[in-house]
Amino acid sequence: MIKHHPKFSLLQSFVDGELPASLAAGIAIHAEMCPLCQQKITQLTEQVAEASFEDNFTESFVSELIDSVVTTTATELDFDDIIGQITASDDVEPTKPVSVERSVSFKGTEYVLPNALRNMALGKTAQIGKLSRARILLDEGEIHTNLLHIGAGGSIPEHTHKGFELTLLLAGTFADEQGEYVQGDFIMLDKRHQHQPATEQGCLCYTVANDALHFTQGINKLLNPIGAFIY
Amino acid sequence: MQSVHSELPSRQTAATSSSMTNKIDHSQLCQWLKAVAVDRDKQAFTGVFKFFAPKIQRIAQSKLNNEALAAEVLQDTMSNVWRKAHLFDESKGAATTWVYTIMRNVTFDLLRKIKANKEDNLSDDIWPLAESLNTEDESFTDHIQSRNLLGVIETLPENQQQVVKGFYFMEMSQEQLAVHLNLPLGTIKSRLRLALGKLKLKLGEHHD
Ligand SMILES: [Zn+2]
Repeated sequence: MIKHHPKFSLLQSFVDGELPASLAAGIAIHAEMCPLCQQKITQLTEQVAEASFEDNFTESFVSELIDSVVTTTATELDFDDIIGQITASDDVEPTKPVSVERSVSFKGTEYVLPNALRNMALGKTAQIGKLSRARILLDEGEIHTNLLHIGAGGSIPEHTHKGFELTLLLAGTFADEQGEYVQGDFIMLDKRHQHQPATEQGCLCYTVANDALHFTQGINKLLNPIGAFIY
Repeated sequence: MQSVHSELPSRQTAATSSSMTNKIDHSQLCQWLKAVAVDRDKQAFTGVFKFFAPKIQRIAQSKLNNEALAAEVLQDTMSNVWRKAHLFDESKGAATTWVYTIMRNVTFDLLRKIKANKEDNLSDDIWPLAESLNTEDESFTDHIQSRNLLGVIETLPENQQQVVKGFYFMEMSQEQLAVHLNLPLGTIKSRLRLALGKLKLKLGEHHD
């Protein structure tokens, strides 16, 4: 059973469209597997939509926007003109074909990607030992997004983070000091945490982090380049 | 299974949002969207447009702080409403939620284009708009095959009848129909879509 969910404020930012694509996709993937969060998102969206298109809402912004309202009036859009342009088109959105699945392969195992990732560009897979990762090429500056595969019996050396790190389990299970994690678990860590995930059967994770990992223990410090490798 | 065209689910949706204001005339918005979907009704579209446009413009302006971009969000959002009205399903949620989703997605893709210089349009994968469409079409297919609807189909314009009959009664693929009728695939798809919209509306009138 999924035990780890995005916190409410993150769901709100998701609904508002304010998260970077990497995190928004993470929430979408989790929600696809978690009816609980899906329901919250549905309700939030309904409420935000209603509030956005209520007259009160826009009025309450008028004072704040007084300057822009004035300029808007100066170059007021010709609504009838826009309506004319739009309705002149006969274009109708075609029925979407049954969604085309996209899969990736790590160490000989095929994984079907979640819908949210289906059109994202993937880099080449790189490997160190039991770890394989493919960068997801989102171009979000310091935020790095990856598919990370840990082979059976593999683990990530103990580390902390300078920024945040999201690990979303797409397939398989892993465990750390906090316990066992299953498919769909949404694990958001910040620099206060340390962890050392290990997997018996192997697993595939979607990871988002905004800084390289920092390895904390003896010989693992030598492995610091792995931090840059993984995240 | 989703019923083809039932009024009940939308009332339930409205009931769950009882804390919300009654200022928005949801059933009017739904009617307009349906008229756009089924009849490409420009008058109805104008109604939808005049309701949403000033609000979209202000929301986009406050979010993007740029007049030209706000105008782009407005134009793109409302073009999508025109193009996708047939995908709106009032049993899945209010018209405001549907338009909000389009506006949020358009804004997201636009911001990403500016910030990351990427035109990958990921928003519809992250916040799918027509998620339920395929299953709904399947149940509609069952429905249409389980009844003798020839009479209803005969009320459609000739060019839409051809496509519907070919697709449902002769079990031709859309691609086969395109070849058979010597028309572009896109035309087949949009005729089929328009015809389905009309059939749903007509069936809905008799459907409990
Ligand atoms: Zn959840």
